[in-house]
Amino acid sequence: MNKLIYGLSRSMAWFGSLVLVLIALMSVASIVGRALAGFGLGPVPGDFELVEAGTALAVFCFLPWAHLKRGHAVVDMLWGSFPAPMRRVLDIVADGLMLAVWLLLVWRMSIAMAEYRHNNEVSFILQMPVWWGYAASMLPALVGLVAYAWRLLESLGLASPPPGFATAAGGH
Amino acid sequence: MDPIWLATASFPVLLVLIFLRVPIGLSMLVVGLFGSWQVYGSTAPLLNQMKNLAYSQFSSHSLSIVPLFLLMGQFATLGGMSQALFKAAEAFIGHRKGGVGMAAIGACAGFGAICGSSLATAATMGQVALPELKRAGYAGSLASGALAAGGTLGILIPPSIVLVIYAILAEQNIAKLFAAAFIPGILAALGYMLVINIVVRINPKLAGSVPPMPWPERWQAVGAVWPVLLIFVVVVGGIYTGLFTPTEGAAVGAVSTGLLAWLRGGLTRKKLQEAFESTAGGTAMVFMIVLGAAAYNTFLALSQLPQELAGWVGAQGFSPYMVLWAILVFYLIFGCVMDSLSMILLTIPIFFPMVSGLDFGLTPEETAIWFGILVLIVVEVGLITPPVGMNLFVIQSMAPDISIRDTYRGVWPFVLSDLIRVTLLVIFPAITLVALRL
Repeated sequence: MNKLIYGLSRSMAWFGSLVLVLIALMSVASIVGRALAGFGLGPVPGDFELVEAGTALAVFCFLPWAHLKRGHAVVDMLWGSFPAPMRRVLDIVADGLMLAVWLLLVWRMSIAMAEYRHNNEVSFILQMPVWWGYAASMLPALVGLVAYAWRLLESLGLASPPPGFATAAGGH
Repeated sequence: MDPIWLATASFPVLLVLIFLRVPIGLSMLVVGLFGSWQVYGSTAPLLNQMKNLAYSQFSSHSLSIVPLFLLMGQFATLGGMSQALFKAAEAFIGHRKGGVGMAAIGACAGFGAICGSSLATAATMGQVALPELKRAGYAGSLASGALAAGGTLGILIPPSIVLVIYAILAEQNIAKLFAAAFIPGILAALGYMLVINIVVRINPKLAGSVPPMPWPERWQAVGAVWPVLLIFVVVVGGIYTGLFTPTEGAAVGAVSTGLLAWLRGGLTRKKLQEAFESTAGGTAMVFMIVLGAAAYNTFLALSQLPQELAGWVGAQGFSPYMVLWAILVFYLIFGCVMDSLSMILLTIPIFFPMVSGLDFGLTPEETAIWFGILVLIVVEVGLITPPVGMNLFVIQSMAPDISIRDTYRGVWPFVLSDLIRVTLLVIFPAITLVALRL
């Protein structure tokens, strides 16, 4: 089970980066098209909207992996001086909060998706239904839910990461 | 409960959570949502706000520049330009006093011109320059101090992720901010070089030297770094002249550095996977903080605290420079323990209205840009000040034989040069603004 969750999160991180590469290529094509407007070319239609939906998808794909990697920014100046039981409790609290907040956000996001679908709202240029963007991001968001729950189980001592897995120090 | 009181009380609560090592973004998110709920007095408006909270932040067009710059930094690392930059700088100044160290700074500045992140710059240049400095007989304290400080050039020299975030929060023009950052960035590099030169003059035992290189070889070494120059000119020049938007500029940067890495054989499957994972980690970290800050700043705005505070400060009759210095000192102190991006996201919505209400004899736009560059510098000092300086840790992790004590000891002259530079930029706003007046 841990292999599946970690493997899936990791593949999603790769996939998200691939989406970024595609966004970058599309933007370059758009610039070139715009520059050659005199030759009958033009920018990629709706490039703005594609960048937005693509970035959202990529970020949702990145979050579970960063959480499993313990990659979020923290201040651990006092951490070393805390007694071990306190650290354990704090880990459980932090992971519990993450899961709870994400559960709330995903629930509300699904409501928003249903509403956009119901009222047939479409994007300005591409006339793409707005709920599509939400739907694409919903899948990685749900994987996030599983990853956060798993991480909480690990903090509770009920589960463990795959052997050989190393967490990274945060940074930007 | 009185919203102003609630917002004031939320600061200590937030700090306690953060110091208990709850991730910074998550802390802001939790406190922000709870605070908004209290101000609304019911759950319905909060639940409504939460429907679009995550998606609208993650799909923000102006923020999409951040992952693209991070990707660009990863590709630049794989392109192997760090080695070429170091060799080129060393060819020219390596034989001078402290020359190899100065070359490392020069290479950091060059790398900073195609990379918008400090940690990536510190990590990449550390890998290349640490062994070379050791071979040239540099003391561990000087080598690690110089590279940690040099890493901050990644952010100080445009493109810069921190400036992008500032531009969004303060609703300023990214291209103008990049242009304004350029001269202070060069000054930073020259200042760090001067520090090395002075330190070595005072204590010549700290550094060895390399023999001068004949001129033909020097030009050859410089010739190898033309892709860096080209990419910088196209990306930053394109953004500045309005040929493309900042996001498109970041895309051009990512594609061109990716192409460079591919041509130079850096894109092996394993390295590409690592680069993708680093991009994922960096992006997720930034957006988690962005998400938390969005929730927290909504709460602050609902409580009216920033407006009240700005009004209060304006009514006290403090001199504008007194307020400015107080803010800069605040950043320096908090920078010792806090991450630069979180600090900016958390405080600019409060400080910016305060500062824009003050009269420095500049136009509102000039004040905003000048303040942005000053903030950029002081939060970056936080990356090299103990106890929590991310760049110090990055260098430390690459050179386990240099103790963290030595690193702390080696970095303070560079911190001093940062403080002198900030003071100069405060006294002479024209240094920053001259690029805009051209």
